[in-house]
Amino acid sequence: MAAAFAAALAPSAQADGPYYSDSASVIWEDNATTAPPGDGIRSAFTFASGGSVSWIYSLGFSTLLVSSMSANIQVCSRFSGLDNLALGPRLEVRHKVGVGPMALSLYAGIGGTAAGYSDPERSAIEGTLLFGASQRLGPAMQLAVDGRLGSYDARDVVFTGNYASVLAAVNIDLDQTWRLKLLGGWRAGDTVAGYTAYKSSYGWEPVDSDALNLPGAWHYVATYKEPFVDYRVSARTWSCGCALSPAVGRNTSLTLQYMRFDTVGPAPYIDNVVSLSLAHKY
Amino acid sequence: MTRALVATLGLVLALRVSASGTVRVLAKDPKGAPVADAVAFVEALDAPAPVHPPADPVAIVQKDQEFVPYVTPIVVGTRVSFPNKDTVQHHVYSVSPAKKFEIPLYIGESSATILFDRPGPVTLGCNIHDWMVAYVYVLATPYFAKTGADGVADIAGLPPGRYTLELWHPRLAARVDRQITIEASGDTVQEVSVTLRPDRRIRRAPESDGAGYR
Repeated sequence: MAAAFAAALAPSAQADGPYYSDSASVIWEDNATTAPPGDGIRSAFTFASGGSVSWIYSLGFSTLLVSSMSANIQVCSRFSGLDNLALGPRLEVRHKVGVGPMALSLYAGIGGTAAGYSDPERSAIEGTLLFGASQRLGPAMQLAVDGRLGSYDARDVVFTGNYASVLAAVNIDLDQTWRLKLLGGWRAGDTVAGYTAYKSSYGWEPVDSDALNLPGAWHYVATYKEPFVDYRVSARTWSCGCALSPAVGRNTSLTLQYMRFDTVGPAPYIDNVVSLSLAHKY
Repeated sequence: MTRALVATLGLVLALRVSASGTVRVLAKDPKGAPVADAVAFVEALDAPAPVHPPADPVAIVQKDQEFVPYVTPIVVGTRVSFPNKDTVQHHVYSVSPAKKFEIPLYIGESSATILFDRPGPVTLGCNIHDWMVAYVYVLATPYFAKTGADGVADIAGLPPGRYTLELWHPRLAARVDRQITIEASGDTVQEVSVTLRPDRRIRRAPESDGAGYR
């Protein structure tokens, strides 16, 4: 679909590709329930695997149109309601200001994702505006900034919302094999905070009665093995982390990454995420 | 009479053969390890020799998203072709002072040929695949050779005389040159110590985006 869209936009351009890539990850989260401090914090492992296929169209000397289609599947070891399959196209215009690896590279695009969850209330479609830039500071160092404006519409209003985010990364190649990555990010918009719940005569209520004062939508969720109510809150999330990524041959790499997500707002919570990923480009 | 003519001709040829020498260059790093892909060349101090570019273009192939060979020495006036044997397109360019050019996205083996008409080093790249890099060294002398994996380069056919021997490598830390003399009868071996800068090529291996965040 993405390729057809791209071809329609640039009928005279010659497509280059397809380029295939895939990845597999093991992810551990200490707060998979995105719960504020209290008794709702649950950790979980997630196994993720995905692949993408992309085509490149030349729009000029330093401008490319890149269309891609990706599919990802996630299986959570503890909460089957979080299992999901996501599929979506992406279309980007990339422009190099100059030529060569040291030139500033800019991109802007749109993306879409349809995600189906085992807990159907979480199933959603998402539209995203993408923008970013990357600049090599030397052959062994690169600064990359990725921004997103997203809107997602789920079956349950609690899982529906909008956001803006920016993620900056500095890649430092220690040698031809080892890469160190430093990450920092910011996100503002709708997020979900989970609270354990009990059934009262009024229905499901959070055990933490302070949650009753939270603004925004809330709903009982069957995602977890125990009763939870999830609240949609407007919040900001700051993130930071680092990764170590050895190359395994020319087209494959491993990445061990740690990220800390610190969400502040009406229902603040912290999530620490450690992942081990294998990525391959064909 | 005929025998005398043949003998005379043989003597002349023998003198001519013996009147050219070979410089064997042994390029080693400070630890004694051989240095490959160094271009060794000599330039006559007394009477510079003319260069004769080859009639056919020299090929620098793109295969498995790499340039092959990594270093290509040529003489001024040589045309170079860039056949793309990959299944994806490449965008070959150079911004080096000795030759600026670009061949926008293309695929297939019949690319345009580029004339290298000025001496000096030329760095090649692909504007799509940043890790792809190769070098052309354009020479104003016909006497040159590239070191192999053993660090050896033989420059043959040198008439007697005084020359400057120079070595070039993409990662050369400091200029390497010396004066040598080619005698009428004999070859010479020149051991050259070469200090290279660290290999800082752009990493090719991809990287996953890591764990996503809901």
